[in-house]
Amino acid sequence: MPDPPLTPAKHTLKRLSEDFGTNPPTPFVELGVTSCFSFLRGASDACDLVEAAFCQKHHALGIADRNTMAGVVRLYSEAKTAKLRPVIGCRVVLVEGHEFLAYPRDRAAYGRLCTLLSQGKMRTIDGQWQDKGECHLTLDMLAEHSEDVQLIALPDEDIDAFTETLPILAARLPTMQHVAVSYLYRGDDRARIMRLDALAKGQGLSILATNDVHYHTPERRPLQDVMTCIREKTTIADAGYLLHANAERHLKSPEEMQRLFADWPHAIAATREVADRCTFSLKELQYEYPEETVPGDQTSQDYLEQVAWEGAAWRYPDGIPDKVRRIVERELVLIRRLDIARYFLTIKDIVDYARNCDPPILCQGRGSAANSAVCYCLGITAVDPAQVDLLFERFISEERREPPDIDVDFEHERREEVIQHIYDKYGRHRAGLCATVIHYRPRSAIREVGKVMGLSEDVTSALARTIWGSWGSSVDESKTEEAGLNRDDPYLKRVVTLTEQLIGMPRHLSQHVGGFILTQGPLIETVPIGNGAMADRSFIEWDKDDIDELGIMKVDVLALGMLTCIRKAFDLIDAHYGQRYTLASVPREVPEVYDMLCKADSIGVFQIESRAQMSMLPRLKPRTFYDLVIEVAIVRPGPIQGDMVHPYLRRRSGKEKVEFPSPHPDHGPPDELKNILNRTMGVPIFQEQAMKIAIDAARFTPEEANELRKAMATFRSRGTIERLESKMVSRMIERGYDLDFAHNCFNQIKGFGDYGFPESHAASFADLAYVSSWIKHFHPDVFCAALLNSQPMGFYAPAQIVRDAREHGVEVRGPDVNYSDWDNLLEPVAPGRSAVRLGFRQIGGIAKGDAEEIVRHRDRLYLDVEDVRTRTRLPVATVEKLAAADAFRSLKLDRRRALWDARALKQAPDLPLFTFSEERDEGEETPVMLPAMPVCEHVVADYQTMRLSLKAHPFEFLRDSYEERAFARAEQLRDCKFGVPVRLAGIVLIRQRPGTAKGVCFITIEDETGIANLVVWPDVMARYRKVIMSARMIEVHGRVQKDDDVIHVVADRLEDASSQLLALSDDPLQSQVDRADHVVNPVLSGLHRHPRNVRVIPASRDFH
Amino acid sequence: MTARRIVSIWFPDLAMERWRRAHPDTDDAQPLALASEGPHGLVIDAVNEAARDSGAKPGQRMTDARAICPTLVLESADRAGDAQSLARLGHWARRWSPWTAVDGADGLLLDSTGGAHCFGGEAAMLEQIETAFGMLGFTAQLAIAPTIGGAWALGRFGASDRIIVEPEGVSKALAPLPVESLRIDSDAALLLRRLGLKTVGALADIPITALARRFRKHRHEVANPLTRLQQAYGTTREVVAPLAPQTIYRVVQRVAEPVQYVAILEPLLADLAERLCDALEAGQRGLRRVCFEAFRVDGYVAQLEVETAAPVRTPNHIVRLFAERLEKLDAGFGFDTFALTAQWHEPMEAWQKGIGEDEEKGILLPHLLDRLRVRLGAENISMPTPYASHIPERSLAWGDGQERFPSIEAPSRRERPIRLFDRPEPVTVIYATPDGPPRRFRWRYQLHDVAKAEGPERIAPEWWREKSTVRLRDYYKIEDRKGRRFWIYRNGVVDDRRGGPPQWFMHGLFF
Repeated sequence: MPDPPLTPAKHTLKRLSEDFGTNPPTPFVELGVTSCFSFLRGASDACDLVEAAFCQKHHALGIADRNTMAGVVRLYSEAKTAKLRPVIGCRVVLVEGHEFLAYPRDRAAYGRLCTLLSQGKMRTIDGQWQDKGECHLTLDMLAEHSEDVQLIALPDEDIDAFTETLPILAARLPTMQHVAVSYLYRGDDRARIMRLDALAKGQGLSILATNDVHYHTPERRPLQDVMTCIREKTTIADAGYLLHANAERHLKSPEEMQRLFADWPHAIAATREVADRCTFSLKELQYEYPEETVPGDQTSQDYLEQVAWEGAAWRYPDGIPDKVRRIVERELVLIRRLDIARYFLTIKDIVDYARNCDPPILCQGRGSAANSAVCYCLGITAVDPAQVDLLFERFISEERREPPDIDVDFEHERREEVIQHIYDKYGRHRAGLCATVIHYRPRSAIREVGKVMGLSEDVTSALARTIWGSWGSSVDESKTEEAGLNRDDPYLKRVVTLTEQLIGMPRHLSQHVGGFILTQGPLIETVPIGNGAMADRSFIEWDKDDIDELGIMKVDVLALGMLTCIRKAFDLIDAHYGQRYTLASVPREVPEVYDMLCKADSIGVFQIESRAQMSMLPRLKPRTFYDLVIEVAIVRPGPIQGDMVHPYLRRRSGKEKVEFPSPHPDHGPPDELKNILNRTMGVPIFQEQAMKIAIDAARFTPEEANELRKAMATFRSRGTIERLESKMVSRMIERGYDLDFAHNCFNQIKGFGDYGFPESHAASFADLAYVSSWIKHFHPDVFCAALLNSQPMGFYAPAQIVRDAREHGVEVRGPDVNYSDWDNLLEPVAPGRSAVRLGFRQIGGIAKGDAEEIVRHRDRLYLDVEDVRTRTRLPVATVEKLAAADAFRSLKLDRRRALWDARALKQAPDLPLFTFSEERDEGEETPVMLPAMPVCEHVVADYQTMRLSLKAHPFEFLRDSYEERAFARAEQLRDCKFGVPVRLAGIVLIRQRPGTAKGVCFITIEDETGIANLVVWPDVMARYRKVIMSARMIEVHGRVQKDDDVIHVVADRLEDASSQLLALSDDPLQSQVDRADHVVNPVLSGLHRHPRNVRVIPASRDFH
Repeated sequence: MTARRIVSIWFPDLAMERWRRAHPDTDDAQPLALASEGPHGLVIDAVNEAARDSGAKPGQRMTDARAICPTLVLESADRAGDAQSLARLGHWARRWSPWTAVDGADGLLLDSTGGAHCFGGEAAMLEQIETAFGMLGFTAQLAIAPTIGGAWALGRFGASDRIIVEPEGVSKALAPLPVESLRIDSDAALLLRRLGLKTVGALADIPITALARRFRKHRHEVANPLTRLQQAYGTTREVVAPLAPQTIYRVVQRVAEPVQYVAILEPLLADLAERLCDALEAGQRGLRRVCFEAFRVDGYVAQLEVETAAPVRTPNHIVRLFAERLEKLDAGFGFDTFALTAQWHEPMEAWQKGIGEDEEKGILLPHLLDRLRVRLGAENISMPTPYASHIPERSLAWGDGQERFPSIEAPSRRERPIRLFDRPEPVTVIYATPDGPPRRFRWRYQLHDVAKAEGPERIAPEWWREKSTVRLRDYYKIEDRKGRRFWIYRNGVVDDRRGGPPQWFMHGLFF
């Protein structure tokens, strides 16, 4: 199941740079540009603005978003493509109400402007912690930072008031030389401009023409109106004068502006002067790596070489193998050439910190640069170059001169420590998190537009429902009709059009999960920094694409649940079996581990535990580490859409010959693709392979390849993709390649678009997959406990993890006040064998502190319920929860009895006198006989309190009746022949409808013998939609299908059997009723049933 | 104490039936749900039969229900309306017993002790109640028992629709019912089930001391099964707290000598009005419609009614509204009794008018409207109200002065003509394209030479309510050589692809 991208891909120009000529300089430059990064004010993005500017023959374009620089990189990169000159600035809005356009002349002035914005975003005027998204600036602050920042005053509506303030502003702000004037068809434009002109002249200033651009074309006015309504929380019908009267605030051509300002030529000339004085370009934001990672007066390269060789000696105590030595030498040369040594040292510093914590924090690097022997020697990664071929040079592109990319994963429970360390060490003014731009997604867009347009909640949600999943990029027509809406209704059409325009517009900035920017100088002089919603978090205004665009280095400090699990597993192995492992020291390439994986026995294992991965394992039959790398990468939309999966499997199983397509002998060596595709049997599987084919076989220049790479990540730029496709295919054919092969290669590139998976990531993930498999195979008890202690993570609920462990012969014991801890523990059973004792963390509603109290007071065994209460002084409600979870078994009390006793406890005050009085003040109780609790009710209560039961599977109680009806057990499927009709029933665990499966729905069900995978084709899905969507337990009539060791049941008919589950706890109730007595027969049927529907089975993971 | 007889009436489908009654054209085959806003989105309150069959149920989140049944139609639930309606039904049910009370969100309780024989015995009474509510469109499930708890339990969990239980049969009738029937919350019910005490009978078999020890902390009745058990069995007393009857605001004045001379009715009316307003003030109500009745000695009753634009409680105002019409009353042999009744009143908070002076100077606008309406007839009064729209003819709306319009923060500097034509009149204009000012124009056969012009003020169509072919307008303020000032506009601009060459119109005059 591919993860949907976090944000829709960036909207970029559909045309390539070669389509744009260079516009000659024009006398007018538009400086008052509000882009969509002035959230809910500007209605056009950089791409639209640049394209419109280019077509109107502008040669330069300003950008001035409201107290932010968030959109400048977008404008910069789009303008670069269209060969326009971007003029970088912002619109400064003061708390006093004055507004200015601010354009820094050089790098230093830009730094001052960023510092100003950062101050407004980090602190309120009275020095408090500023709220997220706010920016408070005062005239004093502006005056302090305005040196070399060209300020253009934006006059108030009320010119009388402006007449009074302008002299004050002019006195305070010497760099304010202009007053902005606009001709916006307001009726009094001429009079207004005349007045302002006179006013400006009176202060020795000049007027400057701007059209106060809020959108690139008049057709965007409706969207801008809708945005205004969203911002002001009103509807379009009620917005009244909040909206502008006309659509004039669009980008106008220089001729048009010259015509409008024909009487004031100096206003036009001023724009050009201001623009020409801005010599600052974002290119100047050269990245400076922090220096403190290099001690003394050594150069960074020398120091890196020194620590790399030291590390190599530490990694290979018996001598560095020749192969490794050669690789390290080669890599160091490359690092020297690219001057990126300090980058490696910065990461080493962070990793060293994590490693030297007590207890150490487990971490692992990944990403293109992480696939190097140097990283292995520095301890950043754990992939041994002696055993595995590394790919470093392939990922560091010398041509692009982009910074290398290393992501470091840390244990998810302890990543915060690392983040705080980075803040401490480098300071908040030098370290900042990247932003993530939150865009309007289809659902949110429809809701907002619908609300503004006055549609009822009903119609809006019907429209919203027309999109399956939350990452669709447009409104699907057929779905609109399905929802019973009339597509031809003009009003609805308008809503849909507006929604489509709003989709993809930025809504607000949020912090990136862990992308850090570190600098030598103050970061606030490079980019404004604002506060996050979380306390103690601040993040910069640019997202990772912007950072990449400018070539600034970032370090991703990410959280990974599996690392927590592996660290806990290593600790448990050390404690119980006396062996200490690290990621690097786990025995490699152990055949038994691969044997296990070939059987798809991978529940809980990192990355390869999903249904899709599990059905691939028996086909792929991994035998080596590299097979795992492929396994991780192949179950992804790229290879699936490029139709690469089956060819690869056929070649691997020897059913097809491994061939390498080759060019015509005139055009190059026949094995030019062999180098690229050798390791994947001639089938491109990884993102980089596809790219490499474009470069080697289609002779793409590095620049073209870069465009291809960008286009791949963009769903909107269909036009570009087609252009690139014909370019790539025709060049490959020219050079003698097969047409089909060329097309397939390109299809795959398209498939990678949204969910690319590079080999380097696959290798790092495969490493964790191997380590977790190794633990699972050799220490299933440890694996179970560690996995449970790291929840929530992974794909499966605790019930499945426990079930899997028990199937591997692990004894699992229930939580008990006399034995359990907060965490799940191991209890020795025999030498080399332990049982898992479930911890209090598995019980809903028990806090960690409560669990610690129980353990702290357990100097001797607890005697009864009263004893637990008096010694731990826990609240009675907590003791009751323990009783409800059946945690008093060691006291010979079952759940019901313990609960009965717990109810009788008195919430005594914690006075020593009372606490130690052993005597019970109410005297002995008369014993009461409660009905014995049947096992099935225990199971139901177990699920209610712990979401799993060790006593039995709920299905066992239903088996007899299913046996009578000739239903099969899940385990019997293995013995069924292909195509045999079969009936199955089970509890629904997972329902999925992956985007790549063309509407096919996959359901995993479970009975007491195991799980079964159902395949539901779209027509069956349509018929049984209600059952599939609502049933917690399902009966299936279908046929068995097998492919290698993969078994599916193709469903023909489905029935909802959820009522059977309820019967588990309601059955005895009915049996108590005398059936002859019809007068007061409390048959709980009928529709108006009151009793609470107790949901005993945890909610399954759903789609939609 | 004689045993009481409590009737429990439960409307299991109140909300949906009420909705259905208000929307008689509903297609019952269409799955329909009533939903209200919950903390995590819409939650279903009630469903119809078709929706129930397709898997929707109350308590479900809307998105879940929609996933199961995509065709589900959603209407918003009206809990306040349901509660009001239930209260009305409660009052209505007083025909069977004065002691009626609303029970939760969907039930009523009646204390019918000693009253059933009036309706032909308990069985006949229940049948009558069920039929009566049935005719109103409400399904009801009924039970009579000696206790509230017993009647409630049997009414909701009993097997048949109308259950009658005698005092000696209570424990037997309740014993097989599930513990949920004891009016306890879900946590208490879950606890009892886990303890294996699933029926009322099982719970009743446990020694009281043992139960008391375990539920002593739970003061709240719904969390304490023991209290509830004792209430149902009648060991603790619980009574029906009846609904208070609605207050009728009516003041009456008798006079010793019949009044024949209508002129002296006014001080009498003033006296009545003062008393009525005092009563209303105590109830925090304001008048919307008031009726004055004068009873003639010969049995004739003269009636006058007035309605007001807003809630009022000012005696003078009321008197003024009646004053002119009092003269038309035919006194005949004289009136001897007068009454003033508030027929329609609305909540109105008490406020202090000012220190020292009782009433503000001048007259309140609603009062003026009332007076004009009384004098000229309600249909003849309308009032212009500013409306927030850039389109000139939409920037004023005519209404009765009570509509609520979009917030008005009119851009005051935009000068608008004193007279705006209802229908703009076409003019022929000579001007410089594309958007130059007019030089000369002809209007109503007269040629005007333009001396001064200001503009254009461009007003684009309100795209959300107009067709895409509607054109923008460029307004110019024009002064001709004689100093007359006009407001004319050009409809559209050249090449806007919304029709031929732009037309000019006269839209208003500044003189």
